[in-house]
Amino acid sequence: MAGAAALRRSARRISRHLAAASSFSRSALQQPERLLSSQASPEHGVRGAVSGSELALYPPERVRNFSIIAHVDHGKSTLADRLLELTGTIQKGHGQPQYLDKLQVERERGITVKAQTATMFYRHTTASQDSDAPRYLLNLIDTPGHVDFSYEVSRSLAACQGALLVVDAAQGVQAQTIANFYLAFESNLSIIPVINKIDQPTADPDNVKEQLKRLFDIDPSEALLTSAKTGKGLEQVLPAVIDRIPSPPGKCDSPVRMLLLDSYYDEYKGVICHVAVVDGALRKGDKIASAATGRAYEVLDVGIMHPELTPTGVLYTGQVGYVISGMRSTKEARIGDTLHQAKSTVEPLPGFKPAKHMVFSGLYPADGSDFEALSHAIEKLTCNDASVSVTKETSNALGMGFRCGFLGLLHMDVFHQRLEQEYGAQVISTIPTVPYIFEYGDGSKIQVENPAALASNPGKRVAACWEPTVIATIIIPSEYVGPVIMLCSERRGEQLEYTFIDAQRALLKYRLPLKEIIVDFYNELKGITSGYATFDYEDSEYQQSDLVKLDILLNGQPVDAMATIVHNQKAQRVGKELVEKLKKFIERQMFEITIQAAIGSKIIARETLSAMRKNVLAKCYGGDITRKKKLLEKQKEGKKRMKRVGSVDIPQEAFHELLKVSNSK
Amino acid sequence: MHRLAIPLVSHLPSRKPAPIRRRPQDARRHASSTAATYSSTPPSPSLSPLPPASAYVHLPFCRKRCHYCDFPIVALGSAAPPRGQGADDPRIVDYVRLLLREVAATRPVSDDGVPLETVFFGGGTPSLVPPRLVAAVLDALRGRFGLSACPEVSIEMDPGTFDAARLAELVGVGVNRVSLGVQAFQEDLLRACGRAHGVKEVHEALGILTSCEGLQNWSMDLISSLPNQTQEMWEESLRCTVDARPTHVSVYDLQIEQGTKFGQMYTPGVFPLPSDTESASFYKIASKHLSEAGYNHYEISSYCKPGYECKHNLTYWQNRPFYAFGLGSASYINGVRYSRPKRMKEYAEWVQELEDGRWIHKCRSSDMKDLAMDVVMLSLRTARGLDLQSFSKSFGKSLTLSLCNVFKPFVESGLVIAMDSKRRALPHIDFELDLQNEGDFGSRVAFIRLSDPEGFLLSNELISLAFGIISP
Ligand SMILES: Nc1nc2c(ncn2[C@@H]2O[C@H](COP(=O)(O)OP(=O)(O)OP(=O)(O)O)[C@@H](O)[C@H]2O)c(=O)[nH]1
Ligand SMILES: [Mg+2]
Repeated sequence: MAGAAALRRSARRISRHLAAASSFSRSALQQPERLLSSQASPEHGVRGAVSGSELALYPPERVRNFSIIAHVDHGKSTLADRLLELTGTIQKGHGQPQYLDKLQVERERGITVKAQTATMFYRHTTASQDSDAPRYLLNLIDTPGHVDFSYEVSRSLAACQGALLVVDAAQGVQAQTIANFYLAFESNLSIIPVINKIDQPTADPDNVKEQLKRLFDIDPSEALLTSAKTGKGLEQVLPAVIDRIPSPPGKCDSPVRMLLLDSYYDEYKGVICHVAVVDGALRKGDKIASAATGRAYEVLDVGIMHPELTPTGVLYTGQVGYVISGMRSTKEARIGDTLHQAKSTVEPLPGFKPAKHMVFSGLYPADGSDFEALSHAIEKLTCNDASVSVTKETSNALGMGFRCGFLGLLHMDVFHQRLEQEYGAQVISTIPTVPYIFEYGDGSKIQVENPAALASNPGKRVAACWEPTVIATIIIPSEYVGPVIMLCSERRGEQLEYTFIDAQRALLKYRLPLKEIIVDFYNELKGITSGYATFDYEDSEYQQSDLVKLDILLNGQPVDAMATIVHNQKAQRVGKELVEKLKKFIERQMFEITIQAAIGSKIIARETLSAMRKNVLAKCYGGDITRKKKLLEKQKEGKKRMKRVGSVDIPQEAFHELLKVSNSK
Repeated sequence: MHRLAIPLVSHLPSRKPAPIRRRPQDARRHASSTAATYSSTPPSPSLSPLPPASAYVHLPFCRKRCHYCDFPIVALGSAAPPRGQGADDPRIVDYVRLLLREVAATRPVSDDGVPLETVFFGGGTPSLVPPRLVAAVLDALRGRFGLSACPEVSIEMDPGTFDAARLAELVGVGVNRVSLGVQAFQEDLLRACGRAHGVKEVHEALGILTSCEGLQNWSMDLISSLPNQTQEMWEESLRCTVDARPTHVSVYDLQIEQGTKFGQMYTPGVFPLPSDTESASFYKIASKHLSEAGYNHYEISSYCKPGYECKHNLTYWQNRPFYAFGLGSASYINGVRYSRPKRMKEYAEWVQELEDGRWIHKCRSSDMKDLAMDVVMLSLRTARGLDLQSFSKSFGKSLTLSLCNVFKPFVESGLVIAMDSKRRALPHIDFELDLQNEGDFGSRVAFIRLSDPEGFLLSNELISLAFGIISP
C-alpha cells in the first residue's frame, strides 16, 4: 500500500517537527521550571481598557499565537469560550455559547465559517501562587472545521506558531482532523493534541491516542485530555501553549512589517484590518504602506481584539491586532498583503496562496428590478468575505446578475444566507458548476465557468475537454467500506488508498471529479453510512473527460440559466431528472408547455405540461369587488415574481429546485 | 319583547310611487345599461359622476351556516320558526331597526333626486325576514332616495323558508324579482353542503314561485364542483333547472374558502372535490346546456332569457355607483368603495357614528389605475366585454394599446375575442393589423371579450395579466 507508506513517511517528518518545536519553545521560554498549576487571573478586569504601555510589557517571548483546529463540531469554539473565560476575557455565563461565532449564519447553523481572533492575558502561576509569576499575551484564533473553509484555517495558521489540534474523544480522528493537521504541519507549527469531550459516555481517549500515534506519529503522552463542557483538564491547556509553542520570531528594532490577515468593512469605522506584526512596532499616527498596491496610509487607530476592538495605540512585535487606516474599500486591503513602514522598502512576507474557487454559480436578483440592490449587497458582503470572486453576467431568463466563485457548496450557501440576512437581498442562483476547459479543433481553449457561455453548436469540433478533480479523504467504520466504494465508482472515482486507522475504521482516498462531489455527494455518503462517514478533499489537477453541454428548452427556447455541463454518460439521466423536476415546479399556463433537455440539436428528454383548465372566481357578491380585486392583484404580483423565457413564466422555486438535482444518480 | 321605536307598520300602506324626476341623460343611460342593447355606446362607465341608482341591502340571517359559506351572516339556529308569522325574532327586528337608521343617516348623493332603479335584498337568507320588515326597508329607501316608476326589486329566497302567502306578501310590497338558492337537485349533495333544506323543499319552492301571479322574473342559483358531485348529477341539476323555466340562472363554481367547514375538510382539485379538468368540464356543460335552452351567457356566472339580465348586477359589471346598507355590505359612492364592518357590534357602532356625523369617509378614493383595473376586471366578466373606445377615452390610447398587445397571443389562441363596433368577431389577423397601425387603432376593433367558455374559465389569469399592464 503505497499510500500507507507515504503516510508513514510524513509521520516521520511530523515527529521530527514536533520534537524540534517543543525543544525550541522551552529554550525560548527561559523558564524551564515545571509548572504544576495555573489559575485564572484576569489582569484587565475592565475590558476596553488596555493601554499601550501595558502591551509594552509583552515582548515576543511573552507572546504566544495559536489557532484551534479540528474536524467539524469537535468543540473548537466551545474550547475557545472556556479559554476566554479562564483568562477573564469574557465573563462566565455572560453572552452566548460559542462567543466568537458572531454571524447569524454561524449561530443558526451552529458552525464557524469565519476565523475569529481574540487576545487574552494570562498569568502563568507556579505552585507557590507567586504574585510575580510572568504574564503572557495569548492570541487565539478559532477556525472553521468544514472543508469549504480550510482557506480560513490556512490564513489563520500564517499568524501562528502553534495549533491546538482538537479531537473528539468518541469520534476520534476524522477527515478534517487529517486535513487540518497537515495544514498546520506544513506550516511548521507546533501541534498540541487536545482530546476533547472526554465527558461523553462513549469517549475512548486511549484509542484516540493510538490513532494520533499511528497517523501523525504523535507521542501519546503529549495529548491533553479535556472536556470543554465540564471544564475537566482545561487548566493544562494554556500552560501547554506557553511551554510548547514558540514565541513569535521577529525583530523588535526593525521598521514595522506586518501580515494582513483579514479585513472587513464597518459602517462607522470604515475598513478594519487584522494584522500580525512580524517586525517592529505599529503606532497610531504612523505612516504605513501596502506592498501590493504601494499606497500609503496613516494609522488612525490600532488595538487588540479583547475580544472586542480595544484601542491600545500601539502593537508590538509578535502581537496580533487591528488597524484602521482610512482605507476606502476592502479592495485596498488585500488579504495576505504585507503592510510596512511607508517610504522604506521591505521584503514582502510570504502571504498565502489565493483562495481557490471550486464552484461557480450565477446570482440574480429574485425580483428583476432589484439588480442595484443585489449589486450593492454583494459589494458590501465581499468586503467581509473576500474569498468570493464576482463578475457581472446577463441571462435571457434572469436578466442582469453576477457569476460568483465559491470555495465550495457550503460556502455558496452561507454566502446566500448572509446576503439575505445581513443585506436583505433576495437571490436566485443557477445550478452550480465547476470550471471546465474546452479545447477546439483549431487549437483554441476556453475556461468555462458559466455553461451558458459555451456555444451549444460551436460550429467547430471539440478536440478535448478537461475537468477539475479533487483528492478526497473518507473515514468510515469498516462495515461501510463496500457501499462507499460503490458510491465512489458511480461518481467516476479512482481509488488511491485504502487503509485502516484502527481496528474499526478505514481511510479511503479517491481521486474524484470535482463536479461529482459538489452537489449531493456528502449527503449521500452520510446516508449510506448512517452518518458515520467524514469527508474532506483538496483540489488536484485537471483530467480529460467526455463532457457535453446540456440545454433546457421551454417551448423550444433555451433557458440559458438552466444549462449545465455533464459527463456524456450521465447526460440522459440528468436531463430526464431536470425535465421532470421542472414539470413539477412550473405551473400550468394558458397554453401547453414542452420542456426538453437537449445536447446540441439532439433532444434527450421531454415532458409536456398541459394547458391550465380553469382559473375563475365565479363569486363577486353584493358588488363587493375589493376582495376579488385583491386576489387578482396577488395573482399579478405572483406573475411579476416569475422569470419569463419566451412566453413561459418560470417560478423562482424552479430555479431553486434545479440546484438539488443530483449529477450522478 | 322588543318594541320598535320606528313605526314600521305605518310605512306599509304608503305604496304610492315616488315622484319620477328623470333627466334626459339618465334615460339614455338606462336605455343602454342592459346588455341587450349592445349597439349603443354607454358613456364612459368609469368616470361618469352619476349619482347611484342602485341599492344593495344586506339581510344576514340564516337558519344555519352552509359549509362553504364565509359571508357575514347571523345563524338563527333551528329553533327559529321558519315561516313564523307571529312573533318576529328580536334579532331580526333589532337589525332592521339598525338598517333603517343607516338609511335615514345616509345622505343622497344628488339633491335633485335620481331615483333608485334597482334594489337588491341579499343575504344571508333574506326570505327569513318578515315581509313587513322588508317593506319597511323598501319604504325607507323610497322616502330617502326615491324609487323609479318600475324599479327592479330583487330578493334572495331559500327553499323551505316561505310559502305562497309569504311570497305574495313580498310581491305585494313591491318585490318583483326572486333569486332562489337551490344549489343542487340531489339530497346527498344538499346535505353534504350543510344546506337547511332538501330536494322536497326545492320542488315545493319551485311550485310556489311558478304559480305566483305577480312574479314573472325569477332566478335560480346552482353550485358546481361540489364534493362528490358527478357529471350525471350536474346534468340532472341543469335539466331540472331548464324544466323549471326560470328567467335567469346563476351558476357558481364552488370556491373553497379558508375558515369554512369545507376549507378544513377539502383541498381544491383533490377528491372528493373534482379535479380542475372535471370542474372545467362542469362549467362547459352548463354553458352548453343553458345556451341550448335559450339562455344567454351574459356574464361569467350568469345566464338569462333575452331581456332578463339582472339590472342590479349590471350596475356592478358596468362600474356604476351604488348604495349599500347593512352588515358587511360594500357601497360605491362618489368613486369610493366602502365595506361596512362585518361584526354586528361594530356595525351598530358605525351606524351610530354615521348618525352623529362622526364618520368621515376616509377619502382614499381610487386613482386612475384602480379605476382602470376595476373597469377591466368587471367588463371582462361580461359577454359585452371591454369597450376599447371608451376605455381609451378615459385612460389613454397607449394603455389601451398595451392591453391589446398583452392579449394578442390569446386572441390568436381563441381565449380572447376581438369584435368590431357591430359586435362581430374579428379574425385575429385583423386584430393584429389594427394593432400594427397604432395611428388609427380602433378602425376595426371596438370591443374585446373573453370567449365562452374557454376564456371565461381562465378569466383570473387573463384579467391579472391586464392588471400587470395597468399597474406594473
Ligand atoms: N459533551 C461535550 N460536548 C461538547 C464539548 N465541547 C463541545 N461540545 C459540543 O459540541 C458541539 C460542537 O461544538 P463547537 O464548539 O461549536 O464545535 P466546533 O469545532 O467549533 O464546530 P465548527 O466550528 O462547526 O467546526 C456543541 O454542541 C458543543 O456544545 C465537550 O467537551 N463535551
Ligand atoms: Mg466553531
